[in-house]
Amino acid sequence: MKKPTLRFITVTLAAAGLLSAEVPGVIAIRNARIHTASGPVITGGTVVIRDGLIAAVGTGAAIPADAWVVEGNALSVYPGLIDALSRWGIPGAPAPAGGTGRFATPPGPSPLADPSPGPAPGPTPSPATTGPPAMGPEDRPSNTSWVNAQDLVRSSDRGITSARSAGFTTAITYPTTGIFAGQGAAINLAGDKPGQMVVAAPTGLYLSLNARSFSSFPGSLMGVIAYIRQVYLDADHYQAAQKEYAASPRGRRRPDYDRALEGVLGAPRILLPATRNVEIERMLRFAADLKRPAILYGGHEAYRSADALKNAGAPILIDLKWPEAPRELDPERRDSLRTLEMREKAPGAPAVLAKAGVRFAFYSGGVERPADLRGAVRKAITAGLTEEQALRALTLTPAEIYGVADRIGSIEIGKIANLVITDGNLFDESSKIKFVLIDGVKYDPVTEPAGPAQGSARTEVVQ
Amino acid sequence: MNMRRFVPIAMLAAAVLASAEDAAPLFIRNAVIHPVTAGEITGSLLVKDGLIAGIGAKLAAPKGVKVLDAKGAHLYPGMIDSATVMGLTEISSVRETQDASELGDFNPQLRTIVAINPDSEHIPVARANGITSVITIPSGSIIGGQAALIHLDGWTWEDMAVSRSAAMHLIFPVLSGGGGRRGSSIAGPSRASFSETQRRYEEQKRKLGQFFEEARRYQKAKAAKPAGFKTDLKFEAMLPVLDRKLPVMVVASRERAIKDAIVFSEKENIRIVLAQVREPGATLGDLKSKNIPVILPETFALPLEEDDAYDSPFTLPNELFKSGVLFAFGTFDSSFVRNLPYQAANAVAFGLPQQEALKAVTINAARIWGVEDKIGSIEKGKWADFILTDGDPLETRTQIKQMFIRGREVNLENRHTRLYHRYLNRP
Amino acid sequence: MKLLSNLVLLDLVLFAPTCLPAADIVIQNARILTVTKGNLTGSILIRDGKIQEVAEKVLAPPGAQIIDAGGQFVMPGIIDCHSHIAAESINESSISVSSMVGIEDVLDPEEISIYRALAGGVTTANVLHGSANAIGGKCSVIKTRWGKDARGILFDGSKPGIKFALGENPKRRGGSTTPGAVLRYPATRMGVEDVIRQAFTDAKFYQAAWKDHAAKKARGEQVSPPRRDLKLEPLVEVLEGKRLVHAHCYRADEILMLLRVADDFGFKIRTLQHVLEGYKVAREIAAHGAGASTFSDWWAYKVEAYDAIPFNAAIMHKKGVLVSLNSDSAELMRHLNTEAAKTLKYGGLTEDEALAMITINPAKQLMVESRVGSIEAGKDADLVLYDKHPLSNYAKVQKVLIEGEVYFDRDKDVSGRAEIEARRKALNEKQRRQRRPAAPSKPAASRRPV
Repeated sequence: MKKPTLRFITVTLAAAGLLSAEVPGVIAIRNARIHTASGPVITGGTVVIRDGLIAAVGTGAAIPADAWVVEGNALSVYPGLIDALSRWGIPGAPAPAGGTGRFATPPGPSPLADPSPGPAPGPTPSPATTGPPAMGPEDRPSNTSWVNAQDLVRSSDRGITSARSAGFTTAITYPTTGIFAGQGAAINLAGDKPGQMVVAAPTGLYLSLNARSFSSFPGSLMGVIAYIRQVYLDADHYQAAQKEYAASPRGRRRPDYDRALEGVLGAPRILLPATRNVEIERMLRFAADLKRPAILYGGHEAYRSADALKNAGAPILIDLKWPEAPRELDPERRDSLRTLEMREKAPGAPAVLAKAGVRFAFYSGGVERPADLRGAVRKAITAGLTEEQALRALTLTPAEIYGVADRIGSIEIGKIANLVITDGNLFDESSKIKFVLIDGVKYDPVTEPAGPAQGSARTEVVQ
Repeated sequence: MNMRRFVPIAMLAAAVLASAEDAAPLFIRNAVIHPVTAGEITGSLLVKDGLIAGIGAKLAAPKGVKVLDAKGAHLYPGMIDSATVMGLTEISSVRETQDASELGDFNPQLRTIVAINPDSEHIPVARANGITSVITIPSGSIIGGQAALIHLDGWTWEDMAVSRSAAMHLIFPVLSGGGGRRGSSIAGPSRASFSETQRRYEEQKRKLGQFFEEARRYQKAKAAKPAGFKTDLKFEAMLPVLDRKLPVMVVASRERAIKDAIVFSEKENIRIVLAQVREPGATLGDLKSKNIPVILPETFALPLEEDDAYDSPFTLPNELFKSGVLFAFGTFDSSFVRNLPYQAANAVAFGLPQQEALKAVTINAARIWGVEDKIGSIEKGKWADFILTDGDPLETRTQIKQMFIRGREVNLENRHTRLYHRYLNRP
Repeated sequence: MKLLSNLVLLDLVLFAPTCLPAADIVIQNARILTVTKGNLTGSILIRDGKIQEVAEKVLAPPGAQIIDAGGQFVMPGIIDCHSHIAAESINESSISVSSMVGIEDVLDPEEISIYRALAGGVTTANVLHGSANAIGGKCSVIKTRWGKDARGILFDGSKPGIKFALGENPKRRGGSTTPGAVLRYPATRMGVEDVIRQAFTDAKFYQAAWKDHAAKKARGEQVSPPRRDLKLEPLVEVLEGKRLVHAHCYRADEILMLLRVADDFGFKIRTLQHVLEGYKVAREIAAHGAGASTFSDWWAYKVEAYDAIPFNAAIMHKKGVLVSLNSDSAELMRHLNTEAAKTLKYGGLTEDEALAMITINPAKQLMVESRVGSIEAGKDADLVLYDKHPLSNYAKVQKVLIEGEVYFDRDKDVSGRAEIEARRKALNEKQRRQRRPAAPSKPAASRRPV
């Protein structure tokens, strides 16, 4: 195995302080089992990476003379995994959950109010959850739609290393605080500067349905829904007014600038939370009502919603934090059959969706340790999902859902060289991730300490 | 307002109304008498000195009595609500009108009887539906005080008292980690963690045990009559409990709490009456074998859990009956006391024999509160607490025509009938 | 049936809805309380979900499903004109005019209260927004079609409504004494009137702006439309008679105030809800044409309910008001039949008058009387079978049909209980075995106070 050689390269680059400016070299992995995600599995194939892109793939791909060669015997190569809805890269962001209708749990450290020193990327607007009570949609409560994930991303975010170690090379990451939380970005989980990490932006506007409080609008689930509806009407009206003014400003009163609506108008799609079947159906209707392309997230009861999702043509992101009985539980507590059934069947939802032809992807959701994510996917496989379908839901499908399949999500010529190299089947418990390539740069996995992901350090690229 | 201005709708004999004439014996004839403890009799009832002096199909009217022809009306014992806040709570949302809940965890010395407002508008309203007696309970965090058994008639609480201290009220610490919000949400976040709940519960139980232990030490110390012994009002109030003279009304709804309460009562060697029982589960056998009576909460209640049978609160009384447990009904309220009979009737719809439902609001309550020699049935020697009706008092449509408490006719007018007549006649 | 429906919900929903009703159903040997056309012992023929014929003898078409009532009672499905079941949120309490919100957005067809109401004979319910605001949110009329989705429980073709509220509730947050509480206007009944008048003043202005826009457009002028305001649109619908006002109220003064405000703005109050002092101003209510939907006997739970009397329904009825009895409670909703019986006792109404208060009268109040509320040919076959007369406290519901489909069957419910419990237990044990070992406890998650 040529790993030592490669490590030498990256470490040397880093030590020289050149990494950010340096283009990675040429790498060839040969005689490996290549899971392209876009086509059939290639056995005994070769992948060639040049300038951070996939230069060649196939059984007959020629190995350039200047390549560092990795002997692929007994290795499998997969496209880098994508977390389809993530907080990775944004320090302190609360995990996106699929639930609806309750008051937001006291927001963790808001990315927007992060007081930690250091170069705060982008603007630092005041958090959405303070200030005087909102008296209606016009006050634009809980609306930071103009905030962009790419401006919040920090390459030093500690979650990145552990995510990478679990085989994830890309996250579609979002600000998640507030009702109109902000715009997401597809980011590669490596890079010296935040700007290098961004693959595509914006990917969509993250919406939550968390009511604010009794005394501040919106104070209920139906208030949140009405609020969002009014904002979209206002956005259309605003756009028309701006256009009209731009066409002939003379003799017209200029329309006010509204940053909350600017963000809303700038989003290519919206993300709506929907965990239960009732919520999925409700949000499908809502998205149609808003006339916006939508992605649902949550999906635990989607095993009941396949038809509705199929008919609506809406993709859904499945939270890999499967519902389970609380860790400590009153022995006499009687959970309802509904609750028990959902716990039982949630991991089977992906298989049902796959069978029905619904587009779905996985996301880390409430899973605290990225190392646990593969185990969570395995549950879905045990419940009937094929490995091929599982891989797709972690690679090409999320890329397609977000319209970035032209650059990531599969092993195809010209795409970004985000790869996971394992010593066996990615979904086998026993198989190990040997290393990942992100933009063609190699990163070795770091063994995570038990407990929630934090404190893991980057071993390869030291800042 | 002059109470006499309105003539009762169904007054059978104007003569009996005046209190001045109460002293004279009363002979009610031509009534269908439902003694509850015996089969129905069509005949007469003699009332003397506030007591039932005779019942019989062929009872003859002694000389000098006032005779009342019931004209076929039904005569039942006055009904008893075994748990109310009557006289303590006037308007439940107004703190100033609430006197049921005191500060502090242990208040055995508190007596509800002294805070009962005889002019509460709720009293005549409840009376109008045939309720003659109620237990008035305190609340409070653990030991709330002493419940009183009162007649729903009297100028003062002293007049009204049947038993100034009928029971000690204890809300048993509950270990509750389950349950769900009304309408039950799916997979909602759990509330306080179980270990936290457990800690709180153990702490409360420890405090309760300690209080009893201290009361026993006090009892011993007092018995020794040491010089300079100082009376402690709280422990003094506990003595009848420790001596098994006063029952403890223990609020415990679900199986685990009921088990706990039974264990506690045996350890402390006290008499208990369980209240607010909703889900006795496997404790039914114990309740029967240990002769622990039960006061049921309002049966018009939602099931505790989503998957529970929709009618579980309705079928519970019959379950108790089938298990041989002695039980009575309570409304735990003041404004809904009048619906006590309908609560009992609802249990009949779901299996309880009608006669048992009737007992649960009359004689069983009297037995549980130790006054079966005075009230709860139509028997010779008992107080003349009864009602005359045009039918089954458990049916809503039945009208209560007249009511007698200790042989005195009680006015059935109330705030509601007065407002009714006033506004019905608004031009 | 609950069991079966649950299983259907959980297992079979992907494949099929609950069993479709037979095209023809005959309920035989029933004591039929039509409510509007007297009582008879006979049969009801149901075709395609509608009542086809009600008569002593009905010729059962070949292939018809026969339900033998065995001499039991059949009455129209109960209609609850004031309910809060089946909704994931009830109150948008942050603001005094919350007309932009609507129950329809948050219907939860899987809330168990629906099944429980059904088991109490309720087939139609007016699901209202809460009473925290002078002008509250939009309401939805549903049928208790347990097992159907959020669209499937809506009463198709029912008229949209909106909730208003007067008195203590809407002014509560203006007078809060909680330290740090944000005070919300209004704090008095005077302020409640002001809020409503202001809102309708705004709505008229908004209505005029759109009318003006429409007129200009019709003349061919190039004009951009005004901003749509989801708060004012429902109020314009009220002004135009397209949306029914259901107003929570207690005291005579505030009832009269609202009637006069409505008179001034030229709209009607469709129902006064609770209206516990309605008996004091029954004449005025009748003159305005408002219906009254009240409790049978609730009183004294707050100051404004201290003059509430159980004779309220009877007095208002006698003075010409269209009266219904409602529950406002997922529990009380389960026995509205015995609530109706209270009007026999308090005020001496007839059995038909009593039953009308939970059937045809609320149907009229919701303007769905052509569809439901009585047993008449042409109406939806929404029927309840009781083992005894429904005005008896000893009666219980045996079967409930909605549009000819049996949605509740007591025998099936009872016989299915063991299975649901076995299944619940098995899953529960399995999941507890799988549960990871206890970890240090976390602080309690914040819960929304009810």
